[in-house]
Amino acid sequence: MRLLEMSDSQFPVGNFSFSNGLETASYEHIVHDAPTLAAYVRSATLQSIYSDGIASLHAFRAADRGDYDDILRADTEVILCKMNDEARQMVLRMGKKLAELAIHIAPSEIVKRLLDDINSGTTPGTYPIVQAVVMHAAGISESDMFTSQAFGVANMILGAALRCVRVSHYETQKILYDLAPILESDYEAIRHLDYDDMRAFVPGIDIMASMHEKGQMRMFMN
Amino acid sequence: MQSVVATREMQPYNHPTRAMYIGAPGKVGYLRLGFELDKSGKSIMRDHERMAPLIVQQELYCDEGMPAMPVVYILSSGGPNVDGDRYEQDIEMRPGSFAHVTTGAATKIAEMNDNFSALYQTITLDENSYLEFLPEPTIPCRTARFVTRTDISCHPTASLVYGEIFSCGRKHRDEPEIFDYDILSVTCDARRPDGRRLFREKFVIEPKVQTPSLLGIMGKYHIFANVIVLTPADKAEEIYNATEVGFKNGGELAIGITRLPNNAGLLFKVMGMETEPVKKTVREFASTVRMVKGCPLLPDFPWR
Repeated sequence: MRLLEMSDSQFPVGNFSFSNGLETASYEHIVHDAPTLAAYVRSATLQSIYSDGIASLHAFRAADRGDYDDILRADTEVILCKMNDEARQMVLRMGKKLAELAIHIAPSEIVKRLLDDINSGTTPGTYPIVQAVVMHAAGISESDMFTSQAFGVANMILGAALRCVRVSHYETQKILYDLAPILESDYEAIRHLDYDDMRAFVPGIDIMASMHEKGQMRMFMN
Repeated sequence: MQSVVATREMQPYNHPTRAMYIGAPGKVGYLRLGFELDKSGKSIMRDHERMAPLIVQQELYCDEGMPAMPVVYILSSGGPNVDGDRYEQDIEMRPGSFAHVTTGAATKIAEMNDNFSALYQTITLDENSYLEFLPEPTIPCRTARFVTRTDISCHPTASLVYGEIFSCGRKHRDEPEIFDYDILSVTCDARRPDGRRLFREKFVIEPKVQTPSLLGIMGKYHIFANVIVLTPADKAEEIYNATEVGFKNGGELAIGITRLPNNAGLLFKVMGMETEPVKKTVREFASTVRMVKGCPLLPDFPWR
């Protein structure tokens, strides 16, 4: 139940406000139908899994053994590797929002400490790391957290697609459904990786985000 | 170098070479370049060390846009990088010095069967120094494996423009090689002289595991340029504002720019179908960056 609650697009951390560059990709007619949207979603999930995903697995395990310093290390690594300014702003806003929300719905010592450190500027407070801490406290498993994060990225783009790409609900749900087995193998591929393995190669999405950052379109935040 | 060779994604390719052994003379290149201001205030290459196949010659003052700038061409006497090559390059910019470093020709990463080629670089920029490091494109041939790591130490007052261009392979051969290589692993880690970390960019391209032609990665494009600019925040903002992004040449080029973490500077990316327009775009961007020195970077020599 808690996993579903925290994975829900209605969970008020603001992920419906971002499009991961999709708004520009749609405007430029690069993403214009279900196959191009599916490819874009896959690129975005790959990027997230091999950067945020690796760091958040480390943060989750750190929370499990009560190693707060390693949680902060994971948080720092996310920011150092987040080369895209728009994506960086997104994970910071959503991370803080989630920490504030978690204090209300499931107060715990570790979340309070994390929020204090975010507010004092001691740590950036990125969404995947706050998510790892909050989900660990909620009793959610590591693999379920991983799935929830990847689902969150895909669902954010697909939700945005319904507003700016000519696709139907049927098509977006089919894209999500087909992603499930791929994510399972992704988890196996990254679960043993370390901070040094964090990487991202999505220049197409990066350029879209840059055009969005410099452009005038504002259906979604930057 | 050991940590570069130990990179996890290269281990499936870490086997003894059947040809010349790893570490044999001619397979381990080393280059150190030290730039500084002489007594008259001229920027010079004060010292250097070189171990073949990496060589440099005397610095030239051939840049008409900035005639006082020493220009150094790095040459590889051994031709392409081959199986088991290990190269190391250190560039040191002492206070106030400025230089342009490039390569004499494209770096070809040859076909490989047993091992991989590795390059480890350090770039150190002291107070108020300025470096343009714009090597010619890297061309990974069929089954090539190449890992690079660049460690940058940059003083808050210094500026660096470091641009790399990666092609998809020898795409204009009779049998075109388009993303036919095994792996390309590129890492850049930047810090302040006091050790404070700025960012860490890493990308790994394994075309046989995940096609780079996926929309969102490179889509239809074949050439990718990644240009890192480290410069003080006020100059970075000027460069950011002066840089146009979007599609050019009827969609043949896609251009983007973003701000690096920790106010370190900017990251400029270009994707294109052919090398020349991408090189030209990178050079135009480098010219915008060079305005921090008050001079433009003129178009390259026509034979380059």
